[in-house]
This record gives sequence, C-alpha cells and structure tokens, in this order.
Amino acid sequence: MADLYPSLAHCAIVAAAFKVLLFPAYKSTDFEVHRNWLAITHSLPIQEWYYEKSSEWTLDYPPFFAAFEWLMSQAAVYADPAMLIVKNLGYDSWQTVYFQRSTVILTELVLVYALSRFVKSVPLPNRQAAHVASLSILLSPGLLIIDHIHFQYNGFMYGILILSIVLARKQSTLLYSGILFAVLLCMKHIYLYLALAYFVYLLRTYCLSLKSVFRPRFGNIFKLGVGVVGVFAIAFGPFAQWGQLLQLKDRLFPFSRGLCHAYWAPNIWAMYSFADRALISLAPRLGLPVNTSALNSVTRGLVGDTSFAVLPEITKEYTFILTFLFQLVPLVKVWFNPGCWDTFVGAITLCGYASFLFGWHVHEKAILLIIIPFSLIALKDRRYFSAFRPLAVAGHVSLFPLLFTASDFPLKTIYTVLWLVLFLFVFDRVAPVPERPRIFLFDRLSLLYLTISIPLIIYCSLGHQLIFGWDRLEFLPLMFMSSYCALGVVGSWVGFMVVYFTS
Amino acid sequence: MAPPTPSSHRPRKKRKVAISPGSNNNLILDLGDGKQSPAFPLVSFLWAARAGVSQWLILPLVLMAVGLFRWAVSLWGYSGFQVPPMHGDFEAQRHWMEITTHLPLAKWYTYDLQYWGLDYPPLTAYHSWLLGKIGSAFDPAWFALDASRGFEDPRLKVYMRATVVVSEYLVFIPAVVNFLRRYTRMQGVHAWSASIALVAVLLQPANILIDHGHFQYNTVMLGLVVASLDAILAGRMLWACIFFVGALGFKQMALYYAPVMFAYLLGVCTFPRINIPRLVSIALITLASFALLLAPLLVGASNAEARKAFASSPVPPMLQALPIHMDKNAVAYGLLFQLTQIIHRVFPFARGLFEDKVANAWCAIHTFYKLTRFDTTLLQRASLGATLASIIVPCAIIFRHPRASLLLPALSAVSWGFFLFSFQVHEKSVLLPLLPMTLLLAGNGGLSKETRAWVGWANVLGSWTMYPLLKRDELRVPYIVMTLLWAYLLGLPPTSFETYRSRPSQEDSNAQFEPSILTTLLHFSFYLAMIAWHILEAFVAPPPGKPDLWVVLNALIGAGGFGIAYLWCMWKLFTQCREISRQATEEESQKKKQ
Repeated sequence: MADLYPSLAHCAIVAAAFKVLLFPAYKSTDFEVHRNWLAITHSLPIQEWYYEKSSEWTLDYPPFFAAFEWLMSQAAVYADPAMLIVKNLGYDSWQTVYFQRSTVILTELVLVYALSRFVKSVPLPNRQAAHVASLSILLSPGLLIIDHIHFQYNGFMYGILILSIVLARKQSTLLYSGILFAVLLCMKHIYLYLALAYFVYLLRTYCLSLKSVFRPRFGNIFKLGVGVVGVFAIAFGPFAQWGQLLQLKDRLFPFSRGLCHAYWAPNIWAMYSFADRALISLAPRLGLPVNTSALNSVTRGLVGDTSFAVLPEITKEYTFILTFLFQLVPLVKVWFNPGCWDTFVGAITLCGYASFLFGWHVHEKAILLIIIPFSLIALKDRRYFSAFRPLAVAGHVSLFPLLFTASDFPLKTIYTVLWLVLFLFVFDRVAPVPERPRIFLFDRLSLLYLTISIPLIIYCSLGHQLIFGWDRLEFLPLMFMSSYCALGVVGSWVGFMVVYFTS
Repeated sequence: MAPPTPSSHRPRKKRKVAISPGSNNNLILDLGDGKQSPAFPLVSFLWAARAGVSQWLILPLVLMAVGLFRWAVSLWGYSGFQVPPMHGDFEAQRHWMEITTHLPLAKWYTYDLQYWGLDYPPLTAYHSWLLGKIGSAFDPAWFALDASRGFEDPRLKVYMRATVVVSEYLVFIPAVVNFLRRYTRMQGVHAWSASIALVAVLLQPANILIDHGHFQYNTVMLGLVVASLDAILAGRMLWACIFFVGALGFKQMALYYAPVMFAYLLGVCTFPRINIPRLVSIALITLASFALLLAPLLVGASNAEARKAFASSPVPPMLQALPIHMDKNAVAYGLLFQLTQIIHRVFPFARGLFEDKVANAWCAIHTFYKLTRFDTTLLQRASLGATLASIIVPCAIIFRHPRASLLLPALSAVSWGFFLFSFQVHEKSVLLPLLPMTLLLAGNGGLSKETRAWVGWANVLGSWTMYPLLKRDELRVPYIVMTLLWAYLLGLPPTSFETYRSRPSQEDSNAQFEPSILTTLLHFSFYLAMIAWHILEAFVAPPPGKPDLWVVLNALIGAGGFGIAYLWCMWKLFTQCREISRQATEEESQKKKQ
C-alpha cells in the first residue's frame, strides 16, 4: 500500500495554524452579513427572522442555515454579547472577529471528516490518488480566499456535499445521501444547481430497479420520499404555518439583480459582454445600431441591469433554458448507467458547469461548485486531469478580484501559485494513463493556456499600474482576467464533456 | 543527490533511491510488516520527496510556504503601533529612512538624536536610504522630513513589511539555503534530511516573530553571518571576512559572533603551520571592507558644509578624549568627528547594564541582590570579565582546532556567553545564539531525537522569554501559533512527547542519539514551568506592589534555561572536538600501518 503522508490531520493542523494567522486580514461585507444573521437569529423570534431589515444584509439563506447561525450565536454570547445586537451594524470588535473566524475554521472539520470518508471509500489501488485529491480540496485556495479571508462558510457546506456524494457510492447508503443533500439544500439554495443530477441519479439508481426502468422499487421510493419531504417540512413547515412562504421566496430568490455580478464571473456572459464591448468600436463601421444608454453600464460592472450596446439583450428566461438544456445533456448518461458513481460525480460537475456558465447573476465564488466535485474524479486518469488543469488555473485566478487590498495580494497570489505548482505536479505524477488515447491538440492548447497565465497575472497585478498608473483604464486588467478565465472555464468544460461522453 | 548545477553539463547519473536516507537521523520509523511512518510531522510533509525529488521543485515550494507564514504574521501588530510620542522599532526604522533620504551624510548620525537618532552601523543606514528612496517613489508622504513622524497608514505598513520580507529573501534565505547545502554535504547528510532541516530553520518562531511581527531587520545581519559561514565552508576565507564585516556593519550585535570568527581565522593561519601571507591578506581585506563600509559617510564628512554641521552639534566624547588638539576647519577633523560620532552612537557605553527585564545573568542576580548599589564602571568591568571568562574556552578550542564543523557549537556557546553576561542585552538578542544552535539541525544526527529535543527546547524557551515583549506589540496570537506550530512540526512538547520516548524495539538504534533521563526531566520541568507561567500570567493578577513579578519570573526561568543551553553547546563542542581528534589520530595510525 502506498503511504498516505502527509495525512489529512497533519495538513488540517498546519492549515488551521495559517488560517488563525489570517484573522486580521481583509474581510468583506459578508463578515457583517453573518454577524447580522447571528444577531437576528439570537435576538428575534423565528417569525421575524425573514422580515427583519435593519441592515441591508437581510437573511437570505434557507432556514437550516439560519438555525446554524442560531446555534453559533449560543456560543457567541460568551465571546462578545454586543455582536448579537441587531442594531449594532458594522460591529467588529476583536472578539467578534476572533469568534466568527474561528467558527469558520472549526466548522471546516466537517470537510475534513467528509474527505477522510471519501479516501476510505476508494478501493486500495486508487487510494493514493484519492488522498492527493482530498488534500487538494482541503488546502484549496478557493476555500482559503472565500472562507478565511473574504468570509463565508463554504468549507462546512462543501463538507456536507462531499459527504453526501461519498454516501451515494454504496447502494446501502444512498438513502442517507439523498437526505443529506436535502439538508444541504435547506442550508444554501445555491446547491439547487446540482439538484437535477441528484434527482436523476437517485431516481434511476435508488427508486427504479437497476436492471429495468419499468420496475419501480416502491419501498425505496417511500423511504426517500418520506426522508426528503420530512427534511423540507422541518425546514419550511413552520414558515408555511405562519404563511411566510412568499416572503421566504422573495428573500431567497432576489431576481431583481442583473445578469452579471459586480465582478464578472468568468462565464459565457462575461465573454458576451466582452464581445459587446469590442463591437462598440466596430459597430459604426459594420452599420449596427448602438444603444447609447448602455455605453456606461458594462465597463463599470455595477450590480443592477446590465444592458448591451450592440448585441441583443439577454433575459432570465434565456439563461434558464440554456442552463437546463446543458444540465440535461450529461444526465442522459446517468440515466443509462445506473449505479455508476463516476458518471454521477461527472454529471454533478457538468451541472455545476452549466449553471456557472449560463446562469443568471452568477457569483465568481460559484466556481467551487465545479472545482470541488471535479477534484473527486480529476485523478481518474490523465484525460480527466487535462480537462481539470485549465479549470484549476482559471477558476482560482478568477477569485483574485475578491481580494483587492495590498496586504492580501501576496497571500492570494503566492498561496494560489503554491497550490497550483504543488498539486498540478503531484496530480501529474499520480494520474494513471488512460485506456483511450489522449487528444493531442487539446493537451497542447491546455499547456499554452497555462503558460499565458504567468505574463497575464504579472501584467494585471503589477504591469498595468506601472504602464497606466493607478487609476487609468482600471477595468482593463479585470476584463482581461475575466475573459481569460472564461476561456479557461469554457475550454475545460468542452474538454470534460468530450472525456465524459467518450469514457 | 547532488543539486543540479546549470553551468556544468555532467552526464546525468543514475539516481539511487535511498531506502533509509539520513542514517543517523532516524526520520523513518519502522512499524513492522514493511510499513513505515514519519518520525515527526515535518517529515511527513516532505514524505513524497524522500525518493529524491528535484531541489528545483522542493525549494520554491518551501520558500513560498514559509513566505506565506511570514506574510501572515506581518498582518498583525508591530512595535509601537498607536503609542505616541515615541512609538517603537517600526517608527525607528521608518524614521531612519526619512532622515537618510533627506539629509546630507554628515547629519545622519547627529540629527535630532532625542527622536530615534540613528544608532545602528553604516550598512543599516545605507539600507534605510535605499528603502526610503524606493518608498518615496510610492508615496513621498511616508518619509517626509519631520512631517512624517509617527505616520501610520495601512499602505505604509504593507510597504515596510514587504521591505523586511524582500530583504530577508535577498540575504538570509539564499545564505541559509547555500550554507545548508554545503554543510549537509560536508556532514554526509542526505538531501532529504537537508530539506527538512531547511524548513525547520526557516520556520524558527523567534526570527519570524521579531522581524515580521515586532519589526526589525535582524535576518539581514543573521543572513550575512550565515553567508560568512558558508564562505568558510567553501574555503573562501576572504569572502568570509567581507560578509562578516557586512554583518557587523549592519548591526553591532554581530559582535557576539566576532570572537569565534576571529579565533577561527587566526587558527586557520596558525595551525597546522603558521601561514603569514594568509594572515596578512585576511587582515588587509578586513580593513579594506571596513574602509569601504565607512567610505561614503567619510566622503560626506570631508567637505566644508559638513564641518559647519558638526560645529553645531556636541563633540563626541571619544573625540574630546583624544590627546591631540585639532583645527576645527581641517578635513581630518571632519573625518574624525564623523568616525567618533558613529562609534559613539553605535556603542552606547553610557547606558545601563541591562534594559528592562531580560533573561540573562545580571537581571537574575539583580532580582535577589540589587546591583544598582555598585558603580557603573565596576559593573562594566564585571560584565566584561564574566563575558570573557564564558567565551575564552570555546574560543581557545576553535583557535586550536580551526575546523569548520566545530563552528556552529562554538558560535552558539560564545553567543550564549555574551547573551548571559555581557552589557546592554536585549531580549531580542536571543536570536543570535538561537541561529547557530538551530543550524545544528542540519548536521549529522541533527534531526535525531537528542539534538532535536535540545534545539527545539532552546527555541521554544527563547520565544517564550520574548512573550512580554510580544504581548506589548499585540502579537500574542502569532506567538502562540508560530511557537506551537514549530513545536508540532518537530514533534516536541507541548504537542507531542514522542521525542522523549525511547523505542526499545529498534536493535540498531543509537543510544547516543536519544535524550537521556536527565535531559527528559530537565526539559519537562522547563516545559511545565512555561505552561504554568502562562496560566499564572493570564489568570492571576500579580501581587500589589510587584506589578512586574510575572515578567521577572519569566526572566529568571529563562536565564536558568539559557545557562543550561550554554552548557549544552559547550558539551557539544567538546564531544565534537574529541570526535574529530580521535578520527585524526585513527587516520594517522592507519597511515603509519600502511
């Protein structure tokens, strides 16, 4: 047996030490968001949780997450009761910072546990690869940037997701996998993006006979139905009782936002906007009409309605249809390969891709929806790995704009470069040779793509300021980065589609 | 595995996969049934590299990882943050950048001495000038003359922190990497062990906490010393002199090492036979580098304007004491004034025996028997005598046996002697004895339980004695994290007791590499005392009338521990010296037989 060193525990301890040192680092408004939620859940009756609006950061996560906040607030009293006062907007005493930051580190233990379950679930010959993959998730720069600097609880929730994915591996624990995913949905509804894959997989593998589609297993259907409906009933039942469901819907799904988020997430719409920008200068020559009112909207990238100057407007319906279509494509394979766990994880990854690439108002943080499930199967063989590589670069680099203070610059870049060099090297050694030949051209393109990243990052972080100064054309690096990352994500999506359907 | 050198195109040798690299280090524990496990967590982090992964991959990864910890520590507080009017070391360094960039060289050592007047040697001044120039390009307000005093701005903090990191990566880190490479090869230690030792040295908590937390540039001085050691190992004595003069010229504290360097260089010229040309060239190159070091300042003092500036400032006492009378308008007067003023500033003999509470012999004695009743001159003589007594033996040994492999224990012993007995010791000076002692980890058997236990214990004790200082700077959390992390990585208490547990199952285990029962008891009592002290300090208020009781207690325990560390280094020096002479006689007798 290959040795599994450093162990998950070793890495978790050293990573925790590093994360504790990051306590005084930059924290985004999400820190205040979560403090406010602690205050709301602690000092108000449940009926008022979704109506309270002293802060602009109202509670917009599903009930289980609110309950999770309530649970933490019970401990927060001992750290600093002042953080639990609803009117104390923007309160950040050092006790508050220490408390909230340590809850992120502590709840991440769920992720450590899930990853250790994942490693144990893998058959012996592949265990080393699984171990490496789980280390890469544990030490992911994405989680470090988003959770431990920017501030969120993704490590905890991705831990639940991975646990649920691991439980889906065995027929005997499939039920728990489904229930756990339902719990996860009631904590953060962004995981709805992956729900279709779960639905199809559970339906085909758990509710219907593996041998024939026409033999439903009523016992299983009953168990799963009761389990999932039960979870949702616990979460939303009380609010239904009080007639607050519509209010919850408005809070959870604020559709008044624009197509693109403040920073452009590297998806199709970023490329679309980029193309629109490029066309503005060409339009007069091509004789295309230009919508002059839209000229200032995209470069500033503000939250709100993004309108396009040349290209046709994108409505919510388009994005839904596109997302749904591209989610359905991989699910066909899940349907015809019942019980195939690798296909299931591939489908989850592709659902993540579809929603990230075509979704409405996608956050750059949602890239983790792709990277984390993908990491679980990236080491299946070298073809998977070469599709993963551009995603690993583009996905993490696209998170850089989240942190913009000078003191965070070395942290995010060096940590990400360290992670990329280390894990791309180790993955390269560990990934087995595929059964089918690789696509030569794709490999070369992926290598070229990786090489471009180095001058681009240098230009965007230092070069641009040296050439143009601090405040001229400041959107340019952002736009370059966004388009570059979008190219990488789209490229890896196409590559992974090919690998997924041909293996 | 030899590190690949880009210049030479040797045919690639077949790599030997070592089964048990670092034979005397016991890095791999045999669990039976062919299963192996790392001896301590740091080994496990480099586990994948044991079969010989290229240094070109390991080194950048290690440097990035330790760099991240440095930067993360630098996010925390620094000395003197929001403490007007004088602030602290951060403000001192910033102030020097301010005065060196704005004033002519003649005024560097005379300008408004009450407000952080420059009192470090010239190389620090030039370093400050360079950093001040670069920083002014970002924002001139950071270093505006007089107007920028006490300036605090997050961007300035980032810049200053970055200068420490960059200075360290340009001086200390290349020096340590090269030194370790050469030293481990000399000692026959496997490259894998060398990488492990490198991480341990670079994560030394005291260095990181003082330079990147408290704010100083100690690693530049320490790096120049290590570069000097590296040059000695390479047999380039003249370069060793240049680097060492550089270290002295950066921070006078490098004097702690000077007796050993002097004894060694003198020894090299004397044994096995007297080598006069070598002695002369060493003396000349040393003088020349001192001259070069001072040249810009002296040139700056040679014009009439400089003399005008000197006329308005008090005459340095050393110049007053000179028996000759000089014309105040002569060029020589300006030069002498500048020189004596620098010496006067750099060596503050007028200050007391010790500052604050520091874990050395004088402070310990003072606790029970007030030393203030004695005359300062007497105390100075006593201090000089005690220091000389404590360093004479190691210096004599290194003079008689000028072997490069004896340098590290000799340097540690001598600098412990200085720390314990010399004049004007700061708690931060503990970095000096700790560095050569920590470098011992890279030697043959350096990662064995015995050496690891001692070096680790001294380091933990060292950062523990700096806790009162770090607490003032709001660096409690980094102190806890970095010290525990280091202890954890090296498998030391309070995180693990594995180091002190002997494994009787191993037949071939060398008894000499395991800590004895006495060592175990001693270390455990100190670890217990440190933990108990932390609990006391955190939860019990000191009795009224003795507000400094806990700090004094800390210094007392620390002084005791450092005394023991001194003795251990002496013992190490003796045993290594005996070992070397035994080998030499063996070789001789073998030659005779042939």
